[in-house]
Amino acid sequence: MRQVETQVLVIGGGATGAGVLRDLAMRGFEAILVEKRDLCHGTTGRFHGLLHSGGRYVVKDPPAAVECIQENRILRRIMPGCIEDIGGFFVVTPWDDPAYGERFELGCRKAGIPVEDVPISRMLREEPRLNPRISRCFRVPDASADSFLATRLNAESARQYGAQVFTYHEVTRLHMTGGRVAGALCHDLVRDEDVLVRAHLVVNAAGAWAGQVAASANLSVPVLPSRGTMLAVNQRVLNTVVNRCKMPSDGDIIVPAHSVAVIGTTDEPVSDPERFAVENWEIRLLLDEGEKLVPGIKEGRILRCWAGVRPLYQETPAAGGDSRDVTRSYALLDHESRDGVGGMLTIIGGKWTTYRLMAEVTVNQVCARLGSGSSCRTALEPLPGPEHATYHWLGEPLADVENASAYADLVCECELASRADVERAITGGDAHTLDDIRRQVRLGMGPCQGGFCSYRAAGLLHAVQAPAAGEANVALRDFLQERWKGLLPVLAGQQLRQERLNELINLDVLNADHLPGPAASRLAAMMYEPAKDGR
Amino acid sequence: MQTDVLVIGAGLAGLVAGWQAASRGRRTQVIAKGWGITHWHSGCLDVLGYYPPESPEAVRSPAEGLAQLIEANPGHPYALAGLDAIGEALDAFQQLCAAAGYPMHGSMERNWLLPSAIGALRPTCLAPETMIAGDLGQRQPMLIAGFETFRDFYADLVADNLSAQQFPARAVTLDVPTLRRRRTLTGVILADLFEAPEFRAEVVEAIQPRLGDAARIGFPAVLGLRQPLGVKHDLEERLGRPVFEIPSLPPSVPGMRLHRLLVAAIEQAGGRVYEGMQVVAADADDGRVTAVWSEAAARRKRHQANAYVLATGGVLGGGLVAEADGRVREVILDLPVAAPPDRSQWFRRDFLDPAGHPIYRAGLTVDRSFQPLNGTGQPAYSNLLAAGATLADCDVLRERSLEGVAVVTGYLAGRRAAELT
Repeated sequence: MRQVETQVLVIGGGATGAGVLRDLAMRGFEAILVEKRDLCHGTTGRFHGLLHSGGRYVVKDPPAAVECIQENRILRRIMPGCIEDIGGFFVVTPWDDPAYGERFELGCRKAGIPVEDVPISRMLREEPRLNPRISRCFRVPDASADSFLATRLNAESARQYGAQVFTYHEVTRLHMTGGRVAGALCHDLVRDEDVLVRAHLVVNAAGAWAGQVAASANLSVPVLPSRGTMLAVNQRVLNTVVNRCKMPSDGDIIVPAHSVAVIGTTDEPVSDPERFAVENWEIRLLLDEGEKLVPGIKEGRILRCWAGVRPLYQETPAAGGDSRDVTRSYALLDHESRDGVGGMLTIIGGKWTTYRLMAEVTVNQVCARLGSGSSCRTALEPLPGPEHATYHWLGEPLADVENASAYADLVCECELASRADVERAITGGDAHTLDDIRRQVRLGMGPCQGGFCSYRAAGLLHAVQAPAAGEANVALRDFLQERWKGLLPVLAGQQLRQERLNELINLDVLNADHLPGPAASRLAAMMYEPAKDGR
Repeated sequence: MQTDVLVIGAGLAGLVAGWQAASRGRRTQVIAKGWGITHWHSGCLDVLGYYPPESPEAVRSPAEGLAQLIEANPGHPYALAGLDAIGEALDAFQQLCAAAGYPMHGSMERNWLLPSAIGALRPTCLAPETMIAGDLGQRQPMLIAGFETFRDFYADLVADNLSAQQFPARAVTLDVPTLRRRRTLTGVILADLFEAPEFRAEVVEAIQPRLGDAARIGFPAVLGLRQPLGVKHDLEERLGRPVFEIPSLPPSVPGMRLHRLLVAAIEQAGGRVYEGMQVVAADADDGRVTAVWSEAAARRKRHQANAYVLATGGVLGGGLVAEADGRVREVILDLPVAAPPDRSQWFRRDFLDPAGHPIYRAGLTVDRSFQPLNGTGQPAYSNLLAAGATLADCDVLRERSLEGVAVVTGYLAGRRAAELT
């Protein structure tokens, strides 16, 4: 069995794990991160991409609100290229308690969140599609963030400081010596072999999966995985994040993200972070609630549906069990003081917005345990990448394409991903699957959902990596199925028509369903379970 | 002008129906929202490629497969047509193509196996002359030629997949001077370039040193839109080997050739084809359709005819719309649609499930004359016919029967419409 040694092993390649890895590396630790799939394969790649101002929590969870606004300011500074500063509204609709507005405004002031009362006439001038029956509107510094890019840049920065990232390394179990955690036994899914990573200290940053990781050392980490379902509509109907001004609830936000708008979210406990269904009622609810903010949004083309699993954490479960009541703050568990088992810390809970803070407190504790390391600099040193704020709407890449007259170079015409982008993702980005390419360049995330670009990307993957033809075939089939997964719950109308065209291309013209190679690879995405309320 | 037969839809079914009605001396108009399947499909005529659709093995003989299908599935458009009529329609279509100088080769006795743009073996019944040297009934070594900046064809992948299936093939990706100067390259642009002898000379020069043992050369299906056989023969002469085309992503150059050919046949017979006229409503009286309404740029226009052929397509063509609430509507006359009872039964879990997704079998129920039926099983209107992918009880993509169903039902509906006037 292959064996690797390091000082600190980080488990989990989401925002938190990548943030911890960077912080460790910057403070002089030797560190390795293992991720069971690709970076951002878990919750980080499955949320609406909101950079919280904290406004959402000012009434219900003020400490979480304070954390959010402090980190909001820091992230704007250290990753300007990942954040689109579009601002956010909290709006009181006819369905909301008008009295909440006062509590909201007061809460913002207490938490230190800049809040501005926006006249309705001005709100409608800025966002003409918002419901004219909205009675009150507050502006707060919410923003739209690219969590895929941010996580990759954290990993890249960590690598520059000497850390290593092993994707497609799934933890089989924690490795124990003398009653201490001393690393983890992993399975390398790409090479299909086991790898033992020995470490002086393990940081469990596996998010919704943290309980499973800890359980292999007989440690109990009471994670309450909670599913949040989202819908993408095929238009950027707004240019501002719009929240309902009320207590947090299902379907209370629309976030413009790249070329689409995301309606979010639900909050449903799940027993297993991998196996859960997206229910039909969630889709109906999200559309109904979205309609209250943007009348007519229901008539638009619903591109896709997905669900992420929040890693909520509560040491002593509350009675009632509503996951909306679980804090959105984070917790750092040192299993030596908590359970008498040395060698591992678990960082759990929190929001994407607070990932850096979570990494900082985790690595502070690493320093204390290992008796070395310098002070944290992640709040000061920007991530590599563009130093200016970028805009994710399609106009920006389109201008580049137009200036270069490079239409012929587009592999994904919906999201304007060029051949050079895709080739870079394959060579520099360590992409193993078309889905890995997608997470880097948004391949297949637009209206056609992979109809045209899947074949092209498979052709490029084959041309660049020159795997056996069978591997390119299965990469294509995996990707078609991965796209199908998020279409299935919402497919109808014009999007169904599109999907039939995708069948024409991939089955009738290419005959991709009768190619050599297995039907699916072991790197294929997991499907949602069939909905219990209908399919 | 008085119209005898009005065909709604200019996909393959609509154009064949229009050609049939016009060539029988009926004053015929084809009106459509836009061009149809011809601009998207392979350019071959698939009659039956996989049957039952979940069978991993391709159908060897369409005639035998059809006999099986007709027995097992009496509601299928092929079963309504019957084997004899299927043969007659395909013969007529083949004769039309041959007379137009663009022969479609093959027979109901044997499917071709031709390489796809990913290197799969694609079963089809009739293939244009430009494709048949790719026949995988033989194993002469192939050279698959792509172009450096053409994103819709990956020669290495084609050749590697063919080799993996024991069909000797190598790949070459050509760097042609003219293409280096172009910033935009599509199949249609390539087809245009191929019609110029100078461009062909460049291609030949680039390919010559790489010929090796290749006994035939496969290109993406872009060998000219107007004079494909001239292009093919010229390349063959210069390269000293047979040349064939491999269809790839839309827009489909070989499909557009069929489109041009059919439009020309309709016009030659005195008919007319109009696009940009989306039919949005119809009037009916006393069991007859009396007029349809199209929506053009600024106004609604009324079209009257003695008989009407509905060839608006299925979910893909837009003749049927499957709504999020589970209803499936026929968009012009709101005819009854046979469909799964609710949305929970539309799909299977795997995109590539060989059995296909039940929603795509939704469509109009018709009688043996291809007259759509109303809720009580009677013809909905005495002068209305339907053809093509709008018909129920077939999944033309999974069966690989797309063009076959379109041509056969278009032929019969067009002929019947002529009889009705």
